[in-house]
Amino acid sequence: MEKVEVPRELKEEAKAHDMYLYPIEKDTYELFFGPQHMATENFSIILKMDGSRVEKAIVNPGFLHRGFEKLAEQRPYFTNIALLLRICVPESDVPENIYSMAVDELVGWEVPERAQWIRTVVLEMARLSAWMFWIFGFGNELGLYTAGQWAVAYRERFMRLFEELTGGRVYHIYTIPGGVRRDIPGDKWLRQLRDTVEYIKAKMKDFDEILFDNYIVFERTEGVGVMDKKFALDHAVTGPNLRAVGIDYDVRKDDPYLFYPEVEFEVPILKEGDSLARALVRRYEIEQDLYILEQLLERGPPSGPYKVQDARLKALPRFKVPKGDAYAHVESTKGDFGAYVVSDGSHKPYRVHIRGPSQSHGVTVLENLLVGARLADVPVILKTLDNCPPDIDR
Amino acid sequence: MLMEEVKTPKVKVVTVKITKSFVKPWLGIKYLFKKPVTIKIPYEKIEPAPKYRGFHTLDWKKCIGCNFCGQICPARAIEMTWIEGEKRPHPKVDYGRCTFCQFCVDVCPTGALDHVENYYLTTAGFEEDLELYDWIPIEPKKVQELNEKFGDYRFPVERIEKLEGNTYRYHLRDGDIVEFKILGYGLKPPAAAKPASKKVEPKTKEKKE
Repeated sequence: MEKVEVPRELKEEAKAHDMYLYPIEKDTYELFFGPQHMATENFSIILKMDGSRVEKAIVNPGFLHRGFEKLAEQRPYFTNIALLLRICVPESDVPENIYSMAVDELVGWEVPERAQWIRTVVLEMARLSAWMFWIFGFGNELGLYTAGQWAVAYRERFMRLFEELTGGRVYHIYTIPGGVRRDIPGDKWLRQLRDTVEYIKAKMKDFDEILFDNYIVFERTEGVGVMDKKFALDHAVTGPNLRAVGIDYDVRKDDPYLFYPEVEFEVPILKEGDSLARALVRRYEIEQDLYILEQLLERGPPSGPYKVQDARLKALPRFKVPKGDAYAHVESTKGDFGAYVVSDGSHKPYRVHIRGPSQSHGVTVLENLLVGARLADVPVILKTLDNCPPDIDR
Repeated sequence: MLMEEVKTPKVKVVTVKITKSFVKPWLGIKYLFKKPVTIKIPYEKIEPAPKYRGFHTLDWKKCIGCNFCGQICPARAIEMTWIEGEKRPHPKVDYGRCTFCQFCVDVCPTGALDHVENYYLTTAGFEEDLELYDWIPIEPKKVQELNEKFGDYRFPVERIEKLEGNTYRYHLRDGDIVEFKILGYGLKPPAAAKPASKKVEPKTKEKKE
């Protein structure tokens, strides 16, 4: 291989930014991984490779930066719902809910039981459709495309249910401070949801056969990207990734909200901390989510209004919130998702801060786990960490 | 294998046992003999759900021009427009910016602004089409009539023709025409909106002088 002469200025600039590999020595080279690569979704990693081993990984986010938090300061309270849900696309109900819960706390509204039930069901449906989307990504990264195609087809059922409930397929814009925007369309919708839960439950056997029981999955993920307890706690890892390390933390159990205290479910925990454990924790959680939805449906929606009865809701653009601050968080499929809203008494929030799980999973944790991994394992580690690029760039 | 390390469930939960298997993945072959879940567009189609958030409709008689819709809009897609012959301004919706959140419909105090299920937001790519999706919504009755006639959930207007003197002519899909003159934009009435009052103002000024 011929050596390429690089001008001195470029050398210095590259060294200063620590971005471009220089000098080209032995087998070392630089690889731009993403954003075209499907596993990275919308951000990229600059990999410094030694042969097929990763020497150093530098995460290069920013392709989706829209400044959500700043934009939220310039819009009325209710309008922000249509903005903040874009922080996590696969489960857009989570940002909606955390923001609404924080504003509820600020105003001092007690959300009606029916609205709480609907919110819980919507959150669980969002979790399930996000799991389906995760299976799609995970299967594809391993080269098991069949499982991915099935998962997307099953996700479509949830999208159809969301469409009937909220009027939108991906961006639901459904949960608002004080309740939800529409009532349940009727018993037919509940029946459809029950059928879908049963259907997914039956289909999980097929997923086990083709994906989770598959020896390829075991070969590819066992011992890849291992995290230990101390590392996980130091780097603010939450959600399924933390549970795969052996730490029992679930916001739904430890800081219950909405209808979760009245629902029975188990938090699956594994100890290995490798990619296989992370994938299997997610597999077990699908089971739990289906079980939670079953219980909620068995209980049925409580009667009553689906929205707070308040005269202020009639003049939304000038809806004012009393001074104060509030924090609310929920358990999403990515991890602990929280919103901190500060109000100065006007009709726009003074500050909205979103605590997303992907900031730690997608940047610091990923950079550390990738060191020493093979190139083929990069998408596996990336997908088992399951981050959400818009959340990194928020 | 790994399931042993999971805490013993306190509640009755359907648990699965994940085991490494060489044979099981081949069981997926059974799906070769099942019907595909995909549909053949355009020979088959899926109807949008009732109340799907699509294009707007506006009852011009009910609209009081309060600009609540313009204030709540997260994308600032709504602009109040003064039309000749109308006492109040009406919202003009730019679908290049609209996010279809339909908060404008929620806040409308008189229920004038509403939405239909029509969702096709496409053009043929001609330059004149670029102005197509920036309109003052038309009467809901007319849109429903068009939906019953065509039933393909497309935009009710086929072409927007701009004539001299800021006059706009909407060519609807069934050949009908909606024509009106736009006098100006914004919350305050433009100078040309009230020719009568315009005449009055200078008179009062003269008197003061």
